[in-house]
Amino acid sequence: MRSTNLDAAIATGAPPQARSLPGTAAAILVPLAAFGALAGLLQVHEQWETGLLVLAFLAALVLLDRSRAGRSLAEACRTQSGIASTSAVLAALALLWTFREDHYSLLMVATVALYAVAGVGLNIQMAFGGIANFAAAAFFSIGAYTAAVLAGHTGLPHLLVLAAGGVVSALIGVVMLLPVLRTRGHYVALVTIAFGVLLRTLLEVNDTFGGPQGMKIPGFAPFGSDFGDVATIAGFDVSFYLPYALAAAALFALAFLAGRMLERSWVGIAMDAVRTDEIAASAFGLSPARWKATAFLTGNVLIGVAGALYGMMNGFVNPNGAGFGESLIMLSIIVLGGLGNFWGAIVAGAVIIILPEKLQSIQEYRLLIFAVVVIAILRFRPGGILPRPLRTLGRQQGGAS
Amino acid sequence: MKLKALALALAGLAGLATVGLQVAQAKDTVKIAFIGPLTGGSAAAGVGGRNSALLAVQQRNADPAAKYTYDLVVLDDECKPNVGVQVATKAASDRAITAGITHYCSAVGIATVDTYAKFKLPVVVWGAILPEITYGNDYKQIHRVNGTMINEGRLAAKFLTEQGAKTFVVIHDTTDYGKGQNKYFSEFLKPTGGEIVATFPVSPDQQDFTAELTRIKELKPDYVFVGGLTPLGVRVRSQMDRLGIDAHMAGVSGIMTSGFIEGAAQSSEGTVSFHNGAPLSRYASGQAFSDAYAKAGFREDPDAYGPFAYSAANLIMDAVEKVGPDRAKITEVLNGTKGYKALVGEINFDNHRQNIVDANVYVVQDGKWVYWPDSDYGTGKRKLAGK
Repeated sequence: MRSTNLDAAIATGAPPQARSLPGTAAAILVPLAAFGALAGLLQVHEQWETGLLVLAFLAALVLLDRSRAGRSLAEACRTQSGIASTSAVLAALALLWTFREDHYSLLMVATVALYAVAGVGLNIQMAFGGIANFAAAAFFSIGAYTAAVLAGHTGLPHLLVLAAGGVVSALIGVVMLLPVLRTRGHYVALVTIAFGVLLRTLLEVNDTFGGPQGMKIPGFAPFGSDFGDVATIAGFDVSFYLPYALAAAALFALAFLAGRMLERSWVGIAMDAVRTDEIAASAFGLSPARWKATAFLTGNVLIGVAGALYGMMNGFVNPNGAGFGESLIMLSIIVLGGLGNFWGAIVAGAVIIILPEKLQSIQEYRLLIFAVVVIAILRFRPGGILPRPLRTLGRQQGGAS
Repeated sequence: MKLKALALALAGLAGLATVGLQVAQAKDTVKIAFIGPLTGGSAAAGVGGRNSALLAVQQRNADPAAKYTYDLVVLDDECKPNVGVQVATKAASDRAITAGITHYCSAVGIATVDTYAKFKLPVVVWGAILPEITYGNDYKQIHRVNGTMINEGRLAAKFLTEQGAKTFVVIHDTTDYGKGQNKYFSEFLKPTGGEIVATFPVSPDQQDFTAELTRIKELKPDYVFVGGLTPLGVRVRSQMDRLGIDAHMAGVSGIMTSGFIEGAAQSSEGTVSFHNGAPLSRYASGQAFSDAYAKAGFREDPDAYGPFAYSAANLIMDAVEKVGPDRAKITEVLNGTKGYKALVGEINFDNHRQNIVDANVYVVQDGKWVYWPDSDYGTGKRKLAGK
């Protein structure tokens, strides 16, 4: 979509607003500002500073939506997505380096990135395939349990362990395919909720996987060097969470690219068609079952891989993590971020994971404030923070939206 | 001349006072973390613990003899292990924080031990009762003032067989808590000669126990031992009565709440339970604690584990007073705790830095949990109903 627009722009000799210099500057500055805000959120200590930042964030959202300048900024990022993405990657690296010694901030950033990877998977399932998956945390935990078994009890290289987390998560997803494909809408949601409850209970009752206490997981050691032991990189003192945060960011970049390629390809078009109208899609020769299955399993792979790395970073996994509440958190990340938009998962992940932590000093009232912020965001942007733009299929100039 | 001397004396006094004031102001601030569940289902326990720890800090700060001013950094673990690791990392990686009073939920407590060991932050667990938190590792940083379910299980087995019970049926929930209670009760029952005739693992939210209880009716055990939390206890207790089972019921600390008595109403009479804490009135300074707590104006109850959080806070602050705010030195002092006089009795850490605590027996008498030795049942005035 975004890149389709860019392609269209190149192919047709550029619609007027796409190539302008201010547009390019905007595409560079908007991601920088976003990551700057994230750095600010990680840095602040005082409650009023957090509050100020949240207000500024809400104001920025309203401005982006309601003002002409804001809309053209958003449009610039959309049409020049290549520049915007590069700027975001550099900003992310700069952010990680700035916080290189701060264990806690890096842990939070890595957590957000891994939840965002799961968010990409969940987006493929829900926003593309139209399958409401209310068991995301269950598949996330399956990835972590796979890592616990394989990394803890076999000598399998850890990169393969990560992959295995995704594969096992997809394989278990296969078991669910039949009921998922037989049902629609709310009923799919019920099936997945039931699966999540089932898995959690099974893990609690069954002692093979540690029972209710769960399992310990060794740290991620991809090339024989345990991430947990890293203390310096190129002569600089760093936290052992820095390699985890980098790996999580790299995983997100990969997931992002894969998801974006899938979306832009005919696979994505087929999924969109099936989701929008199954009957019309089958009239065009698309098999709804096939594309739904593809979306569901691809999504599960990403969720499982993210879960495996998350487990290795935290060093343990237990059935609590597979609970319904955790699934709802993942779901709310993609809904708040905007269904179908991968960048949205990062922004919403920061809001949902980091904000409650930053409000710690108001103790039991913090979830109240957090809830108000979420409601306020959805009040001003009912489609989420960054809604998915309309897909433009044509390469003709008139096709740009 | 006299006047001049007076003026001099006054000036001297004023000078002394200023110096004194400066000394008072120059007290360094020491930060101590408190981590517990402040939101969610276990919030009552967490908030009670927080208030109690806060009370200890306020009392210390009001004490002119204290060498430092203390600042309690309160963090919420939501009773979720992954959130627990986040806040544990936050506290442990903050160099300004000297020690921690940590965790009520066992699942969180066990998930965070590695974090504290990695960052070398000495912590004192104030509420989580899973034995593995102290016994499952050999980290010098992890201490615990409250007892574990091992103590409860040991006492339950000993006490019940002493009461003449021979046959038992166990109903336990399938969480960590229930499974552990079952494990330790069965283990300690074996040498006493008691026999478990059947064990029923159930889901914590199972509503109907007719199937299990019908079977239990046939087995005619002396005691039904329930390893679970209040909702489970209420259901089993009231359904036992409905089916006319005349066995006694014994529970664990999880059912020792006012909710159990409200829920099971009449049927609750004579239910026995075991708990690590003694009633506040049993502690030498219990009354003083209650009064101070009430005076400090906290709205919530200190709850069963509040006194432990209070004792943990004092234990840590006394260590800081002794060696200063240095994590390694405090760890050493805490490791060697022997015969420390605290609100909850004497604190002695064993070689796994676990406080040696004796559990206590309680019984429901006329709609109240009563300390067994004080109860009519304990003194022999009444006999437990049933067989």
